[in-house]
Amino acid sequence: MSDLLNIGRTGLNASKKSLETTGHNISNVNTEGYSRQRVNQTTNIPITKGGTVHGTGTRIKSVTRINDDFVNKRLEKSISNSKFFEQRMERMSQVEDIFNDLDTDGLNQVINRFFNSFRELANQPENETIRSVVRDQANLVVQDFQRIQGSLNSISAGIDGNMESEVTDINQTLEHIASLNAKIRSLEAVNEEVGDLRDQRDLAVRNLSKSFKVHTYQDNKGQFVVAARGVGTLVTATQVQRLQIGTSNKENSTNGLPGSADIFFEGKPAHILTKKFQGGSLASLAKVRNEEIVDIKNKIDSIAYNLTKSVNAIHRRGYVNRQVEVGEQGNVSDVDSKGMTTGINFFKEPIGPKDSALNMSLSTAVKEDLSNIVTALGPNSPGDNRISLAISKIQHERIVGEDESTLEEFYLQAVGKIGLESGKARLDSEQADGLKAQAVSIRERLVGVSIDEEAANMVKFQHAYDASAKIMQTADEMFKTVIGIKR
Amino acid sequence: MSRVSENSSSAALNFSLGKAKSKLEDLQMKGSTLKDISRPSDNPISNVEALSITSNMSDNKQYQRNADYALLHLNVTEKSLEQLTDLLVKAKEIAISQSSDFYNADVRKNIANEVNQLRNLALSIANKRVGQKHIFSGYSTLTKPFDVDGNYKGDKGHTTVEVAKDFFLPLNLNGHEIFYSSDDTSDKNIHPLEKLKKSVNEQTEENKRELASSEGERLHKRDNIFAQLESLSVALETNDAGLIQSLLEEFDESISRLITLRTRVGSITSSVMNSKSRLESENIEGATRKSKLVDADIAEVFSDITKHQNVLKTTYKSSQGLMNQNLMDFLR
Repeated sequence: MSDLLNIGRTGLNASKKSLETTGHNISNVNTEGYSRQRVNQTTNIPITKGGTVHGTGTRIKSVTRINDDFVNKRLEKSISNSKFFEQRMERMSQVEDIFNDLDTDGLNQVINRFFNSFRELANQPENETIRSVVRDQANLVVQDFQRIQGSLNSISAGIDGNMESEVTDINQTLEHIASLNAKIRSLEAVNEEVGDLRDQRDLAVRNLSKSFKVHTYQDNKGQFVVAARGVGTLVTATQVQRLQIGTSNKENSTNGLPGSADIFFEGKPAHILTKKFQGGSLASLAKVRNEEIVDIKNKIDSIAYNLTKSVNAIHRRGYVNRQVEVGEQGNVSDVDSKGMTTGINFFKEPIGPKDSALNMSLSTAVKEDLSNIVTALGPNSPGDNRISLAISKIQHERIVGEDESTLEEFYLQAVGKIGLESGKARLDSEQADGLKAQAVSIRERLVGVSIDEEAANMVKFQHAYDASAKIMQTADEMFKTVIGIKR
Repeated sequence: MSRVSENSSSAALNFSLGKAKSKLEDLQMKGSTLKDISRPSDNPISNVEALSITSNMSDNKQYQRNADYALLHLNVTEKSLEQLTDLLVKAKEIAISQSSDFYNADVRKNIANEVNQLRNLALSIANKRVGQKHIFSGYSTLTKPFDVDGNYKGDKGHTTVEVAKDFFLPLNLNGHEIFYSSDDTSDKNIHPLEKLKKSVNEQTEENKRELASSEGERLHKRDNIFAQLESLSVALETNDAGLIQSLLEEFDESISRLITLRTRVGSITSSVMNSKSRLESENIEGATRKSKLVDADIAEVFSDITKHQNVLKTTYKSSQGLMNQNLMDFLR
């Protein structure tokens, strides 16, 4: 008779435990990274009595989480990818905004106006007012070159800042994973799988894969290892290899700019890892900073360099717009009270293509005196406009690269490329987003909590509980009956 | 049957709502700006083409300004040449009427005054200015081209003006070719920058030669208009009928030279007008092309907006059943 009571008790227990798990699932329905848990129930060990085998009720074997490592890995991968393109799209559209000339006056139009001011000057070379217009337009050109380089530099600096906070986050997550590893190991040494903690660890790994592609595995000693693809192991069980960020000088930095941030293992600054990360936002940030921004900066520099060089070369040939003394043999004096009369640079002559946009400025002669803006090829010819005509023709001459494109063509090519890259990044990002949504949905379908399902289970387990209780009640009544016989 | 969990259905809903909304937002942008492209990446190729059209158009506007300026200049030149021709015709008439021995010395002396006036008039025409510049002094536009004795102080420079891309036209006639001789009045349109492209050394040498030549070349006696008028006046005063007669031919020469020059100015003017009207039509074409590249097709945008609004509405409606109910609602 006590058998019956006992069997009823095991059923009661099992149903109660199942209801608890259902409750746990429902209360965690919105917990990030939670995967639903299931009670594994099995029959108790049967006993033999009087030659027959009797069941002894039920038993809870374990409570496990529903999980599929393959699905998780796929999700991690798609998170890395989508983060990479999302970050890329964001950064590229920042770069692109600098070159958005459709409504505003971009470099193209400023340079265009600069050349047209020389055409205007060619109409009236003796006119002082137009000279000052030319100088103003030239100043605008200088400003616009500096605006572009300045904005590019600040995007670059913004990326440095982002990398830094990213590395701080990564280090925190790494520590978190290591401490979870310790807890999981100590709990699982005595018990079954600890679903909740494993969920937390998976979530941490997923967070990590926002920054770079993560590779996780269990080594032969059963240690959980987290590695960054292309870089190396970051966590082995409870051991953490922290990352560090620091600035490097011009020669060592990965993008050739002084003071730009680079990533390395803590305490090993000689071994720079910035370029080695694959996927995720770190690789994306590094790529935009070290490739796209550097590339467009070089192009802008080369436009500035060729513009200044060509304008100067022609400008130096002419004579100033004021009376110059001519000697007996028709030789012209090279200097007068206001300085040189010929061989004057319009812009400050650049030292080399590097940084020529940022260092661009008008020459001191032109800054100081308007008559130093040269229009005439010969001395004492205020009506000679050949120099200003020749300067205005630079606009249509192929002077960039190996004489292959005009300033405008070169600039438009550069802008076109930025536009293409940025548009491509947007498409890629949309696509990667779709793939990520798909991966999330696959995982959620498998491991997510469904209220409907839990509700059905609740009813089921409650009924089982009621029935088990009924069994016990019956056993009790049976006891009573048996005891009542004595009376 | 695939399993559906709370999170998977809400994620699916988020995704489709996000997609519908971002598309609608994009269309709303297009609708409010009426631009198909608001940033380079929307259509990199159109963007680049639109930019190059923009700069082409502003170049053209500058060429039009150049043309307007050239027209002003050419009209003044033309007017001056006309006055000068009239003046010479008048001088020639005087010479014809005085070449016979019909008039006596007194009458001729009186008429000499008139000729002197004609000469002064010619001088004032020769020193004509547009704005601050003398139009007949070559490159030395700030120097008065002729002094009281009719000596030329200017040079033989031809200012050129660019009235269309790579189309240069000479803007001025210098005093030498109008008043002196017709030796250097070739009609060829020399590219103004050819000289500039030669090496520096060659250039300076040439410069010197140019300067020296204008310096050294003293006028051949009566090759110039002032000298002709002067001679006429002298001949009248001295009552020298023979000299007056010999002047007739020289007047004819001068008049025919002026007429040639006027034709030249006229043809340049018509070239300028032509290129100007061509630039105008080019700008209209450019604007049309640019609008095609950059502006949104309004009908299409608004029909798209309506369509996507419906998509969004349907998404909301369909989510209603999925999100608002679960099994709990139906259990006691």
